[in-house]
Amino acid sequence: MKPLPNYLQSQRKRLALSQDEVGFLLGVRGWGKGEKVCRDENFVREPSLQDALVYQEIYGKPVSELFAGLYRQVQGEVQARAKYLSFRKLRKPNVRKQQTIIRLANLAKINPSNQ
Amino acid sequence: MIQNRAIRILAIAPLTRGFGYAVMEGPENLLAAGNKGFRSNKNAKTLAWVEKFINRYQPTVLVLPKVYGKDTHRAKRIQLLHHELVVLAGKHLLKVRQFSATQQRDQLLADPKGTKYEMAEKLAAQFPAELADRLPPKRKPWMSEDPRMDTFDAVGLAAVFWKPLK
Repeated sequence: MKPLPNYLQSQRKRLALSQDEVGFLLGVRGWGKGEKVCRDENFVREPSLQDALVYQEIYGKPVSELFAGLYRQVQGEVQARAKYLSFRKLRKPNVRKQQTIIRLANLAKINPSNQ
Repeated sequence: MIQNRAIRILAIAPLTRGFGYAVMEGPENLLAAGNKGFRSNKNAKTLAWVEKFINRYQPTVLVLPKVYGKDTHRAKRIQLLHHELVVLAGKHLLKVRQFSATQQRDQLLADPKGTKYEMAEKLAAQFPAELADRLPPKRKPWMSEDPRMDTFDAVGLAAVFWKPLK
């Protein structure tokens, strides 16, 4: 199953918070504090790193869990790039570097629940 | 028993006022639940909303109540809407599962003569964070049904989906 881009709405409803309240906690100023939150929840906007960390603080869940779809997409991209790197021949073989690249290239095998 | 528990389902309960909906990812994770009411053109508006939900939540299975059966008497409009929902599910390549009211009572209450309110209470206890504050007061004989009960109908359908078949 492909995860949703984010699970912000279900987490907010679980805590019985309104979009305005979450907007206030995010530090949005002026009228329509909830609009930014609404756009985040409806997958219209990808929040900034600071907003993502605030969401983590509010909902008490890691960013990778809150933005599971985005995380999966990023993970796949890193894996593909790591595979590309693993085919490269190094002039000086470096064990630590090789281990890191192999670990990244095999991300899906290490964590099959993310597939 | 559902073998693959890592799927997302959308349950729709078409009712007199509009419809109730519930989205679940696995038996313990209720992502969204609610109800929509319409005053006119109910079938067209319901179909538009359901399509919106399908596009947003990308479910694998659409769960509907059975409208044809010995224990079921539904209005012509609901029967037509049910048919249109099945067609819509086919268009989006979704599987359709249907449960009758008796099956719901059997699975959730272990009593085919249980009431809707008892089922709602059980669901509110199962999902306290999501549903406990939405449980309406018990209906008196002279009162009409609270619109919030639509939500519980849909969540009931979604919850039955994850139960082993008897």
